[in-house]
Amino acid sequence: MALLEKLQRRASDLGLWYRFIQLLPKLALFCGLIGMAYLALWLPSEGQYRHTYISENALMPSQAYSYFRETEWNLLRGYRAQLELLVNEPVDKKNVILAGWLEEIGLKTAVHKDADHGDSLYGVWHAPRGDGTEAMVLAAPWHNGDGEFNLGGTALATALTRYFSRWPLWSKNIIVVFSEDPKASLRSWCHAYHTSLDLTGGSIESAVVLDYPGANDFFKYVEIFYAGLNGELPNLDLVNVAVHITQHEGMRVSLNGIAESEMEDREYYGKMKQLLLGVRKMALAGVQACYGNEAFSGYRIQSIVLRARGSGGPFDITTFGRVPEAMFRSVNNLLEKFHQSFFFYLLLAPQNFVSIASYLPAAVAFSAAFIMAGLDHFFKGSKSITSGTARSSDTLQTVTRFIACLMTSYAVSQVLLQRNNPHALISVSVLTSMAPLYPSINSNSIAQAHQLKSISFLYLSVVLTSLLVVNFALAFGIGLLAFPMIKIQNTTNSRLRIKNSLLLLATNPFIASCAFANIFETNLSGFDIIRNLVSAWNDLGCWTWFVVCIGWLPVWISVAVSSCYVAEQAEPNYHSSSDCASVKKLD
Amino acid sequence: MNLRELQVVAACLASRFGASTVFPLLQQQLDKSVEFSTPVTSYRSLQEGVFLLRNDFPLYSGGVVHHPPLLVAFMSSFNSTNLISLLYACADALIAYQLISMAKCFRNSPLPAWVPGAVYVINPLVLLSSVSKSSVVFSNLAISTALLSALQGNCTLASVSIAIAAYLALYPLLLLMPMLAILQKDKLKTVVVTAATLAMLLFSSYKVNDESWNYLFSTYGVIITFSKIIPNLGLWWYFFVELFEMFIPFFKAVFNLFVISCILPFSLRFYKQPFYAFILCLSWITLTKSYPTLGDGGFLLSFVPFFKPLFGYFRYSVISTLLFIHVSVLSPIFYHLWVDLGSGNSNFFYAISLVYALGLATVLVDLVWAMLRIEYDKGKPNIKLKLTPV
Repeated sequence: MALLEKLQRRASDLGLWYRFIQLLPKLALFCGLIGMAYLALWLPSEGQYRHTYISENALMPSQAYSYFRETEWNLLRGYRAQLELLVNEPVDKKNVILAGWLEEIGLKTAVHKDADHGDSLYGVWHAPRGDGTEAMVLAAPWHNGDGEFNLGGTALATALTRYFSRWPLWSKNIIVVFSEDPKASLRSWCHAYHTSLDLTGGSIESAVVLDYPGANDFFKYVEIFYAGLNGELPNLDLVNVAVHITQHEGMRVSLNGIAESEMEDREYYGKMKQLLLGVRKMALAGVQACYGNEAFSGYRIQSIVLRARGSGGPFDITTFGRVPEAMFRSVNNLLEKFHQSFFFYLLLAPQNFVSIASYLPAAVAFSAAFIMAGLDHFFKGSKSITSGTARSSDTLQTVTRFIACLMTSYAVSQVLLQRNNPHALISVSVLTSMAPLYPSINSNSIAQAHQLKSISFLYLSVVLTSLLVVNFALAFGIGLLAFPMIKIQNTTNSRLRIKNSLLLLATNPFIASCAFANIFETNLSGFDIIRNLVSAWNDLGCWTWFVVCIGWLPVWISVAVSSCYVAEQAEPNYHSSSDCASVKKLD
Repeated sequence: MNLRELQVVAACLASRFGASTVFPLLQQQLDKSVEFSTPVTSYRSLQEGVFLLRNDFPLYSGGVVHHPPLLVAFMSSFNSTNLISLLYACADALIAYQLISMAKCFRNSPLPAWVPGAVYVINPLVLLSSVSKSSVVFSNLAISTALLSALQGNCTLASVSIAIAAYLALYPLLLLMPMLAILQKDKLKTVVVTAATLAMLLFSSYKVNDESWNYLFSTYGVIITFSKIIPNLGLWWYFFVELFEMFIPFFKAVFNLFVISCILPFSLRFYKQPFYAFILCLSWITLTKSYPTLGDGGFLLSFVPFFKPLFGYFRYSVISTLLFIHVSVLSPIFYHLWVDLGSGNSNFFYAISLVYALGLATVLVDLVWAMLRIEYDKGKPNIKLKLTPV
């Protein structure tokens, strides 16, 4: 206690508290920069990341010999040749024929009808040695995320099912799903499986989505996608198992669709690139092209996508089939749900990761930056209030204004759900950003502007904090894009007002996300991201749209409103010395 | 009672009753959340008890009902859902009214009397707790009745109410001690009346419960021994989940001693400010009880406006506010991550319950410090003077 007391006295003597308050804007800026640098520059450096390892000993990937080889080759080709004839047939006919094959193999089949998103055929193979309470899913959508016909994938899924069915060692049911697409239709099947379907096979432990478009026999390398909706990731053990098996079979692994030329780059910049790509993929899950693992989010299912890329490489399609085979053997060994390894991680290479404790500070820094900016405006606001006549009724008015901003934002989110018109939204946003150029002439005091900013920054910080663990990437992304907002000042200077306006333009949720998508995501050009955000909520139940609209937009609106107020006098300064003069010590 | 106060009470009644009737599903949602519902206060288990009672099944042999028998019997006399919603809304409105009346007991108070009532009405924690139909509302009502009648010098009503509060939730019995300090005279009478009322309640419960004493363990035994280990915002559950079997009885005793420990010191040290001592004891119980809900915390926070003169001395008010905001946002999220998604684990939720405890503790520490400071300043606030706690 004595030490604390001494420290407190010393701090008080030096007037540290007042200096701290004065430094708040700079500290906030500093915090944000730290957050950005921490993730992008610090984490990819040597010593900050760890090598992946299989945490659950029961998994034993690639410990058993894989038999999906030459003997299955002709069967697989046979199925593929037959399916190739069906490419242009309607989905009903495909389903009927495929259901016939599956029933021949010994599966129970059913079709999940969904008029809006497309029907899904699925079959359940009851495990000979299990109690039927757990299941593993093998999914092969008819069309993959890029719209190509998933010929190899569906043929492989059928051949693998036949191959699995001849083995007596399964202790978990095997469910094979053929959906129209890997997005809404698979999601709708997954939802129905947990609510309304009659034919079920127990709780699903893992899901592997096969993506092998085209009729080519050979491919170059394997892509793995793992980022689920709403910030969910599969257990790191499952990703590790997939990577381990693929590399064990001699194939190269690319994560999150990184280009072939860059995937072998294990240097600092390569790691940085992979890390940032992973964060982007996580933040935009459901909004970008979906490859299928997103469909299983929210039901405690660990799911990944295996995707064969390139044609004419050294590996043939049965090699690709050995990956799901070995993965199913691994998951089959599990006695408990996946719980050992990490659920929160970022991958910098197929075999390098950082866990939550290491990367969380990056987003915490943004949250802290907004808290500091909020406190700064809080202190400035209370200082100006004591100098003026305004009292609690002013505060009440500010709170009401903020609630109005919140309501407006909610209304915007609902209107866009009904009428998905990004052009109008962007035009309104641009017009609103011009607000500081024409400051309002009413009697609103500068104190209220500070109060409004203080409330909205604290609100944004609460939003970011609550997202930290649920969806780190989104929290980081919003923090990063909204961060310049803290530099907006109340001013009469017309040049600074133009700067305010530009800052508002840059931090508008819709403009910023469109700009971001156009720069970094080649397949989200124009206003696609807004359309996709809305449709991701409608089709997939991905709530990124609401986070943006209810978390970020009200803050932006209220900052825009507050930046219209003009200071009538110079900002009050803090006097540190006079307050400290009266310090008396208690002995 | 002037117009403004009437408005506050009417707003309380309307908001509670309106929220229950406009959003009928909200009640079930809240009742499932661990923040607002515990085994000993949950409306679901109360309904179960009402069903058992109406069909002449033994109330406590199933191990589901942990409400005292008279409360179950009382609730079984209501049939319509709307009537029950109205009952909870009335109980809450009565608390708001009593807070206003308490404020009137302090002459030369710097705040208009309606303010504590209004704070109670707009407090979202209390609102949601009332909508969840948690039986915390009834024990809070009994506590506030006891406090009000003690302030007004009505020792019979005060002791009867504190006995009812003790009968409903056990730990409020400890509040008898600071209440004796408020009453100043008739102390013996207060103790005797409380004991007699409690004995009478317990005996009639025995009669209602088919002449069986087994309700004692199911209601109070569960509270003391924490035998239903279910996550909540308190400090107990995590500890007993992790502990080896043989240590459990010892640490249960320790935790119970912990609840009792500060009651006497607070009552003695602040004997001259008995109302304040009462609130300190209440916050201590809220912090350390075995099955706390946000309803308890919200009720406690409604007493903070009474200490307006001390506000200048508060050192952590911004921190406590931020803590409470973060707790109410993060606790459902972390519980969801743990229980629904399975990607988090129990440590996440326990961390948040620790943050909640920290929030309550900062309020408690601030209150104690502020009162000691104003004593040091001899009742004339001298905010400029800086002191260091040693």
